[in-house]
Amino acid sequence: MNKTLLDILVCPVTKAPLTLSKDGTELISKMGGMAYPVRDGIPVLLETEARTLTTDERLESGSTK
Amino acid sequence: MQDDQKKTTDFGFKEIPTEEKVKAVANVFHSVAAKYDIMNDLMSGGIHRLWKRHTISQSGVRAGQCVLDIAGGTGDLTLKFSRLVGAQGQVILADINDSMLKVGRDKLANMGVVGNVQFVQANAEELPFPDDTFDCITIAFGLRNVTDKSKALASMYRVLKPGGRLLVLEFSKPESETLSQVYDQYSFRLLPMMGKLIANDADSYRYLAESIRMHPDQETLKTMMNEVGFERTSYQNLTGGIVALHKGFKF
Repeated sequence: MNKTLLDILVCPVTKAPLTLSKDGTELISKMGGMAYPVRDGIPVLLETEARTLTTDERLESGSTK
Repeated sequence: MQDDQKKTTDFGFKEIPTEEKVKAVANVFHSVAAKYDIMNDLMSGGIHRLWKRHTISQSGVRAGQCVLDIAGGTGDLTLKFSRLVGAQGQVILADINDSMLKVGRDKLANMGVVGNVQFVQANAEELPFPDDTFDCITIAFGLRNVTDKSKALASMYRVLKPGGRLLVLEFSKPESETLSQVYDQYSFRLLPMMGKLIANDADSYRYLAESIRMHPDQETLKTMMNEVGFERTSYQNLTGGIVALHKGFKF
């Protein structure tokens, strides 16, 4: 996914910044505890398509501090 | 019964539960995506190209600017904006429907448009961009399909930069009664028939005709824009009001 695009994308629900997952398949909203899929190179920033991060993932991404 | 309290909204002439509209509209566009461009040309006799060209001419977009094309679908406006903003600018084509986005992305790639155009699947009611991001936002033949239009307009206002402008190109209310009658005959008889013949999908094109009639008229839409904060709001009727171009600024 394109870096300039990532720079201006935020979580549609919380408006918090997003980071690309290591494998590049998801955009993570640490603050909202949500992950949005990237399908076929296109970020899918729909609340209905998002997945809630697991506790482990939240700990890993440092969102619980 | 609980149903009495359930919120409903229009889907063409039907009333359906609000939460089902997104899916119902999605099905229409999954169905028409592949034939969308050719149907637009046929149904409008090519005039949609003039409406879009006029929209571009009213956009004031210059080199280096950042443009959001909402419900950008198959990319007609994005294509023109990508040339206007140049290498230093950026155009985001957003659409809620992945079928339409893919058709748009393939089409633009085939036309050699790469570099300054990005694609995002997003809901106009909840735009995934920070406040004050875009110099210009367009939504052409898209607002009609949005469930909560005021919420979408407010979301557009939020992501527009101060000084930025919104352009809404949408079907509207014909100015004369005669035109209105001819247009009714055309859209409720001929249009679904063309949809059946060319895209084998009469229902989607019936929805198109019905959704146009349910869409707020010129003055109502202008008021809705004012209510969410837009200023110097105005509109121009095109082709006798069959289509209107609304413009509003954020200051």
